[in-house]
Amino acid sequence: MILAQTTEPFIRWNWVWSHLDMIWSRTVQHLALTGIALGVGFLISIVLSMIALRYRRAYAPITWVTGVLYSIPSLALFVMLIPLTGLSVATAEIGLVSYTLLIFIRNIVAGIDGVPSEVREAALGMGYTRRRMLLEIELPIALPVVIAGIRIATVTTVGLVTITALIGLGGLGQLILDGLNRLFTTPLIIGAVLSVVLALLLDGVLVLAERALTPWARRKATIG
Amino acid sequence: MRTKRRTGVFGAILAALAIVATSCGSGGGANTIKVGSTNFTEQEILGEIYAQALEANGFTVERKFKLGARDIVEPALESGEIDLYAEYAGTVLEYLNNGAGEASGDAAATIDKLRQRFADRGVTVLDYAPAVDANALVVTQETAAKYGLTKISDLASIAGDLVFGGPPECPKRPFCLIGFQDTYGLNFKEFKPLDTGGPITVAALENGEIDVGLLFSSDGAIAARNFVVLQDDKYLQPADNIVPVVRTAVNSQKLDDVVNSVSAKITTSVLSQMNKSVNIDKEDASTVAHDWLVANGFISG
Amino acid sequence: MTFLADVARWFLDPASWQGTGGVPARVLEHLSLSVWPVALAAAIALPLGVTLGHRNRGAFLAISVANVGRALPSFAVLVVGVPVSIKLGLGLSYWPAFAALFLLAIPPMLTNAYTGVREVDPGTVESSRGMGFTEGQVVRKIEIPLALPVIITGIRVSAVQVVATATLAALIGGGGLGRYIIDGLATRDLVQVFAGALLVAVLSVITEGFFSLMERFFVSPGIGRKAEFVDISQIPKGF
Repeated sequence: MILAQTTEPFIRWNWVWSHLDMIWSRTVQHLALTGIALGVGFLISIVLSMIALRYRRAYAPITWVTGVLYSIPSLALFVMLIPLTGLSVATAEIGLVSYTLLIFIRNIVAGIDGVPSEVREAALGMGYTRRRMLLEIELPIALPVVIAGIRIATVTTVGLVTITALIGLGGLGQLILDGLNRLFTTPLIIGAVLSVVLALLLDGVLVLAERALTPWARRKATIG
Repeated sequence: MRTKRRTGVFGAILAALAIVATSCGSGGGANTIKVGSTNFTEQEILGEIYAQALEANGFTVERKFKLGARDIVEPALESGEIDLYAEYAGTVLEYLNNGAGEASGDAAATIDKLRQRFADRGVTVLDYAPAVDANALVVTQETAAKYGLTKISDLASIAGDLVFGGPPECPKRPFCLIGFQDTYGLNFKEFKPLDTGGPITVAALENGEIDVGLLFSSDGAIAARNFVVLQDDKYLQPADNIVPVVRTAVNSQKLDDVVNSVSAKITTSVLSQMNKSVNIDKEDASTVAHDWLVANGFISG
Repeated sequence: MTFLADVARWFLDPASWQGTGGVPARVLEHLSLSVWPVALAAAIALPLGVTLGHRNRGAFLAISVANVGRALPSFAVLVVGVPVSIKLGLGLSYWPAFAALFLLAIPPMLTNAYTGVREVDPGTVESSRGMGFTEGQVVRKIEIPLALPVIITGIRVSAVQVVATATLAALIGGGGLGRYIIDGLATRDLVQVFAGALLVAVLSVITEGFFSLMERFFVSPGIGRKAEFVDISQIPKGF
């Protein structure tokens, strides 16, 4: 039934080789969009988490707002931001950052809360100030949980960046979209596969980082 | 340890802000032109043609392609997010005047009205190209044979049994569904929003998910698939010549000269051929544009 | 605030509720897009996870599936499905969406079925064997009931994620609530986009509530609620 397209192979390798530059620059763009979202999101989340840890009653409203943000379909959020921030990186980033907040905040707070109270008391007994305790005791102990959150946020963001292609950005999403527009499976598959590979790579890097940073932590076979 | 962490964090914030600022600020000096396009392949080809022609003549070009439908891109032109893109004379005129019915089959008259409309919005309309790309109502050979269809009016009695597919914005467009209803009295059984005259619409036509599809008259798939274009016997479609529009604030005589000389050479068959190269032969829009510009002496090899 | 007034007006307009593009029709489309992938995924992932957990095999598989599953951008899977679907002559809009949602639905259910069974107290399992239970009885009468909270949580996470992501089907000409977002995008009708987003969010919440109720009905009270309310941040965001 479909005549011309059935002869299209899934991947035209010569296209891949001749477009390596473009594929690379799309990957870099994808990484940049992801990195900015994670970086800015993490900073904002640290601030909000510190507030939530200090003023317990703030935790519920903070998670409520970030939760609502999280459940907005990303394309809808980007589109609604366009009149405000235009067709720019800022529009995409505001959306992407919003989706990281809930994950980060939940995990930072859970991580710090997970520090056993005996440890805190012992530290206080030994004369640690609040600040030293936070930086030298609580954060290191919370690290595995925090990194778990970073992993989830990272993988999620890499996936969401593909959607920004629909407003003209998108890194690897552009390859996917181009493949859809022309029914050209090569960039489509390359874009899709690279997005997954990128997400898994970053996830792997974070796992290694966790092992490097927490040599004392017992390795439990936790899932996710 | 503490100070290291603090500067690290601070530095990260600065770096992030810097990246965001440079990406979203308008770059370059007076000679930088932001060329945009809407979200289908032909637009990318046209964008590349104008972009490369400008670059060959000393302009710095920032490409912002495939931003979305006209409803996203035209406001972006007015607000300065892009400076130039290729439009379709009759359709954009009716878009700007809210369907007042000023567009006609007369290209020159349509362009005059368009100039007036755009002038209020700080946009200059340049010369129009011979090439026309209008909405085309298309059926498969089998469908045409089954109902004996050659022109759009032939659909009037059977539209209620047929499924029509087109771009999501079609129901709101005067030369799309609205026009088909008003001018031809077509009340289709169902409208399926698909894509902007792209492969999804083509595939839907081929496997029978839709009976009638909206494609663009310069689409290479029409010939490649032996589709039948129903003749627009009541002349619903206006003169939809390709016409570049540019923000008056960044316009210059030099830009006009470059763009106009290129537009003069873009004919419908040139456009169809380029569409076919990109959509069916899977060549890059930038390469196809480049080759055409070289072949016509606009840029050197 | 006039924007919100416009949205309210959209919802109050009877035309928004009628016809093939009306809210009820779109909600039904959305649900039918969501239900079948989840059902099929459950039919495959749950028995598989329970079996692996029971035999204490395939921990690596369960973890990897969870990781890879989360890393799959739904948009990419959906779009890749289009040419495949066309080549197989399966039509356009439904099957790529089905495939994408099916792949999304599997990891949470597989992982939770596995962990749920793994976390059942080994002492209980052993003593049941000592009482003469066959392996099948151990699974059916001990492991599954005890693992049920975690299993149902897995189904819940899957379902909510699928409902949220089913909005993507509209990108390739499909229906469902995503149509409001895609069509609104094409005509810059932000009121429609917002209305669509709101409806998706509400439907996700209702889905979550539905499975909370399921848990209450099907989990024996003596088991105690290990999996409390779903932490929405644990629901992978695909769209």
